[in-house]
Amino acid sequence: MIKVEIGYVNARVRGMKGRLLQPEALEKMLHKPDVEAIISQLEGTAYHEDLERASVQYAGIYCIEHALRMNLVRTYRTILRIIGGEPFAFCIHIFLNKWDIQNIKTVLRGKHVHIPHEETLACLVPAGELDEATLVELVKQPDIRSIIDMLATWEILYALPLTKAYPRYQAKRDLAVLEYALDKFYFGRALASLQGRSYNEAIVRNLLQTEIDITNIKSLLRLLRDKVSAEDGRAVLIPGGKHLDVAFLSRLMSQGGEDALAGLARTPYASAHPAGRLAGKEISVYEKELDRMLVTQGIGAGRGDPLSIALVIGYLWLKSNEITNIRIISRCKNAFVPDDEIREELMYV
Amino acid sequence: MEQVHPTRMELMKKNAQIRLAEQGRDLLKEKMDALIREFLRVVHTVSKSREELEFLSENARRTLLTAQAVDDSVALQSASFAAKRMVTLNIKGKNVMGVAVPVIEKRSFSRSICQRGYSIIGVSGRIDEVAERYERTVDVIIGLAETETALRRLGGEIQMTRRRVNALEQVLIPELKKQAKYISITIDEREREDIFRLKKVKKILDRKKKEKIATRRQDAGTAPLPGEGP
Repeated sequence: MIKVEIGYVNARVRGMKGRLLQPEALEKMLHKPDVEAIISQLEGTAYHEDLERASVQYAGIYCIEHALRMNLVRTYRTILRIIGGEPFAFCIHIFLNKWDIQNIKTVLRGKHVHIPHEETLACLVPAGELDEATLVELVKQPDIRSIIDMLATWEILYALPLTKAYPRYQAKRDLAVLEYALDKFYFGRALASLQGRSYNEAIVRNLLQTEIDITNIKSLLRLLRDKVSAEDGRAVLIPGGKHLDVAFLSRLMSQGGEDALAGLARTPYASAHPAGRLAGKEISVYEKELDRMLVTQGIGAGRGDPLSIALVIGYLWLKSNEITNIRIISRCKNAFVPDDEIREELMYV
Repeated sequence: MEQVHPTRMELMKKNAQIRLAEQGRDLLKEKMDALIREFLRVVHTVSKSREELEFLSENARRTLLTAQAVDDSVALQSASFAAKRMVTLNIKGKNVMGVAVPVIEKRSFSRSICQRGYSIIGVSGRIDEVAERYERTVDVIIGLAETETALRRLGGEIQMTRRRVNALEQVLIPELKKQAKYISITIDEREREDIFRLKKVKKILDRKKKEKIATRRQDAGTAPLPGEGP
């Protein structure tokens, strides 16, 4: 029964995957002289409808970016609709819930510094389970307490960590307290729901654990660069990584700079080792390598069992990667960055 | 020329004014030299800071472009909400040759990742780099604000002093000298006229006196004395 349903989902997703841009199309885009030419090229793709709608309000690079966001939201909403209430749906939700976390954080940030509603709404990307109407209602709340109360009233699970962390936030007036609570809750809950032995769960668990490792390495490098104490740094690390546990990372952190880097070189993430980069403070270079690793693994997951959600997971990564690539090319073209630099320095997979 | 009374008193007054104006001009020239020395010192600091600012802002602009391209501008803007804060500056003043210049308390506005108000788990290192570079740029801008304001005020004061010196040198002192010369000429002229007039009067008086004596002698029938003849 499940296999039939997965078959239907996969057939739909395969159709969507066929509409993704081929590497040649991206290469062609890379050689376009300006943003207008990129818009013309995109008008002949799946982004046509979104570009048409975005062009009513925006022009140039802003039109492309808005269209890309709308397309991402539309695509993820379609996936959510296709998978409906299937037993494997929660695996896909885990991937999409990252957007919910990002949106809730944006709403909280906007409220924390009293940003006008319109500005906060412009920063939301309702690509997760929380739809636009829900987010608009959250933005309308007068303060952070009311936002948490509203989440609790609607029985949205993110109210749990926020309610717990709220007294600490109130005492310190530090928004990061709420954000860390949300992040840790997301990863903790996702890992807890992926305890089964099924193939679907294994794929998502594997990706999620890799993501935790990569997130922890990125955090570690940034904490080391800013010379944050091991005690404070430990609170930032997320438990449940695939190869690196919190104890190991804490040990690296207490060792400091060079020793920590030497320690990282002995992990499976050595291929993106930041030798000599931390000194130059270019963490983003190493971060990019790590992101590339994760994206490659995410896209690679799509080549798994055809009767599993592997294809859907792979497609989600491919879509996100495609949108990132188009945005990179458009932004760089807009800033007159040479083609080679865009290709070598910026483009992902 | 303005109306001047060509009197000795006025001449003395004008000469005193000339001396005072020349003294003022010399003092203003000394002040201008000191201001120019200070100005050149500040110019050096400003040009160094400007170069640093240009380098930093170019760097920051580049990281901003990367973050906007890879992470999307909405993620960047969202992070900026969390990192938003007021910057309070403590500004005092100091006096350089009578010019009030600001002194901004030196403090760094760069923050560590734990102080930016967002969770580093959900915000990429690229966005962090943007925040870090712009915070450093703000530090340089504040330093530059102090030196550039000092430079502008010193420049303004130098210009004003130069105008004053020029006014003294080109207008006031020559005018006073001209007036003094005019008074002096007028007084000399008047003296000469007086002498001439006195001489003339004396001559007339002498002639009248001689005529009177001659008439008296004629009336008395006496021959005129030698040298009294007509």
